[in-house]
Amino acid sequence: MSQFDIQRPVVELPDQDPDPVFSDDELVWTEEEKEQIEQYKAKYPEPDAAIMSVLWMAQEKFGFLPPEVIQLCADTLDMPFSKAYGVATFYTQYYKEEQGKFVLDVCTCFTCQFTGGYDILHYLEEQLDIHAGETTDDGMFTLQEVECLGCCGSAPMMQVTNGPYVHNLTKGKVDELLENLKKGELPRFTSVTLPQDEDEMGGNRRSDAETTDTYKTQPRSKTIK
Amino acid sequence: MEATNGSPTSKAGDWRSYERVLLPPVRDLHKLEVYKDEGGYESLRKVLNTKNIEPGDVTNAVKESGLRGRGGAGFSTGMKWSFMPEPDDRPRYLACNADESEPGTFKDRQLMEYNPHLMFEGILIAGYAMSIDACYVYVRGEYADWIKHMEKELEKLYEQNLVGDNILGTDFSMDIVIHKGAGAYICGEETSLLNSLEGKRGYPRYKPPFPAQVGAWSQPTTINNVETLACVPLVIEKGADWFANTGAEKHPGPVLYGISGHVNRPGVYEYPTGMLISDLIEEVCGGMRDGKKFKALVPGGSSTPPLRADQCDGVTMDAESLREAGSMMGTAGMLVLDEDTDMVSYLRRVTHFYSHESCGQCTPCREGTGWLENIVTRIDEGEGQMRDLDLLLDLCDQMEGRTICAFADAAAWPVQYTLKRFRDEFEAKCKASVHPVSSKTSSGIESAAPAT
Repeated sequence: MSQFDIQRPVVELPDQDPDPVFSDDELVWTEEEKEQIEQYKAKYPEPDAAIMSVLWMAQEKFGFLPPEVIQLCADTLDMPFSKAYGVATFYTQYYKEEQGKFVLDVCTCFTCQFTGGYDILHYLEEQLDIHAGETTDDGMFTLQEVECLGCCGSAPMMQVTNGPYVHNLTKGKVDELLENLKKGELPRFTSVTLPQDEDEMGGNRRSDAETTDTYKTQPRSKTIK
Repeated sequence: MEATNGSPTSKAGDWRSYERVLLPPVRDLHKLEVYKDEGGYESLRKVLNTKNIEPGDVTNAVKESGLRGRGGAGFSTGMKWSFMPEPDDRPRYLACNADESEPGTFKDRQLMEYNPHLMFEGILIAGYAMSIDACYVYVRGEYADWIKHMEKELEKLYEQNLVGDNILGTDFSMDIVIHKGAGAYICGEETSLLNSLEGKRGYPRYKPPFPAQVGAWSQPTTINNVETLACVPLVIEKGADWFANTGAEKHPGPVLYGISGHVNRPGVYEYPTGMLISDLIEEVCGGMRDGKKFKALVPGGSSTPPLRADQCDGVTMDAESLREAGSMMGTAGMLVLDEDTDMVSYLRRVTHFYSHESCGQCTPCREGTGWLENIVTRIDEGEGQMRDLDLLLDLCDQMEGRTICAFADAAAWPVQYTLKRFRDEFEAKCKASVHPVSSKTSSGIESAAPAT
């Protein structure tokens, strides 16, 4: 077949996709969700601005954003599908395809690069037997290489499914994380102690429950162990 | 290393006895109760309740303080505020830029983690100064945990009438809304941020019209960085003179240095501007990791040109000194690199970043960043030719200043300067390449001769 003999459109639109993932019965908002959407709309002078919040909500509900879910979001806000689709495809955190149960976003941007981010990425590739960008066969893990997550002081680091950050990664820590995730335990929010707080306050300044996992920004060894 | 404390070269003065103000050492300062006990929201009260403090006076105080934006460009904040037109019946907006996506920058996250109320108070004072109706805090989507924490605190502020209608019983009303992004570097660019806020793709807009005239939803809008706004209550509390006399003369104030890379104690440090780079690395961060030699510094995020170690001698962290040295202050997110660092590999990763994050609106940037990455990758993988170095520089010339926003410039600068300052490493890789090399093809940085 010639490469110009294009059989199907590059972008699948809802009416062109023969097999939507979700049925019409599933594509509805509950009453609470409808109320939440009204609250989102009230935050902005124009309802269209709520599209990012609504897409986030849809992603939490459906797991990812196939065209029919984007259509639902667009209809909810009474905006054209093309506009909602444009937003959903512009931002990297909206999943356009089905992901594993846990998405491991390993930062490899330059600070992480020079402190071992790629070692962590490659170690995870070995452990999960997949390449970056792929999902394991059992659907548990998707591994991704991502750009700077704004946590260079505790590099190398990663984020789990657009949620908690895991700092100062080592191979041991990655093993532990994978074990916990297999048991369904997400890491908790961890607070990285400011070096000046260590000196002046003897540790982390936050005492609330969500920050029980705190640690110092220790000097790290030259190779990831 | 010689102690430089108090020596004329350090503009930060006696930094060893500096007491932190942006992140003062107070336990649980992120909670409203604690923040108020520590004298929080007193600056706001002072501004709102003192009869003879007019909105214009606040703007003037910020102007006099010499506060310059901490988000990268370093523009005078008071000046920016004064671009807002006179209040009329149109709504007016403030956008707090918490997108923090410049690689190497992580200070705003620490501020939001440990002292978010300083930011909220700054937003309210700025709101009073510019008669703002609503402030949108645009936080990058990755900071999901921090958004949750801040929403909790914001709720308390509404309950205690510190945000909302008739704040503290005055006729000043203002809303604060936290908007969650979804992962796009370009949304840190102010007009792109506005488009994203309006529920569109984050494409930067043409300027002019500037956001002060036509901003969010076409209304007058000002965009300030988190740390910039957090400095505002300090200007009110301690006075414009105090602020202007802290740190470097032309770039004053306290600043959060986010130091990362090959140092012993990476992290966010608060000191006045104008700290000697050598002091920051050797004294503050406990020196280089594993006793290695210092090789290069990226002073303020990925788009600021990297400096060789010898170019950092006697250089201080403020806009003027860094400009003389051949770089920029940027966000003060400093990446310190040791002697083992491969600068070709560094540039390859940086060009990959820009290629990945280009929004795709303007052709020179969309295509150019991809080309830059391909060529640097070719060199890094040992398949480069000497003429590729000229090709890279030529490509940068075709990108710089030819696009709607400064993204293409930010992508071109690290290429130009890394190539200029670490040319030997690039040449070595090209000479060892699998392709035969003609000695005629490149005659150094100034060479404009087309390769044969």
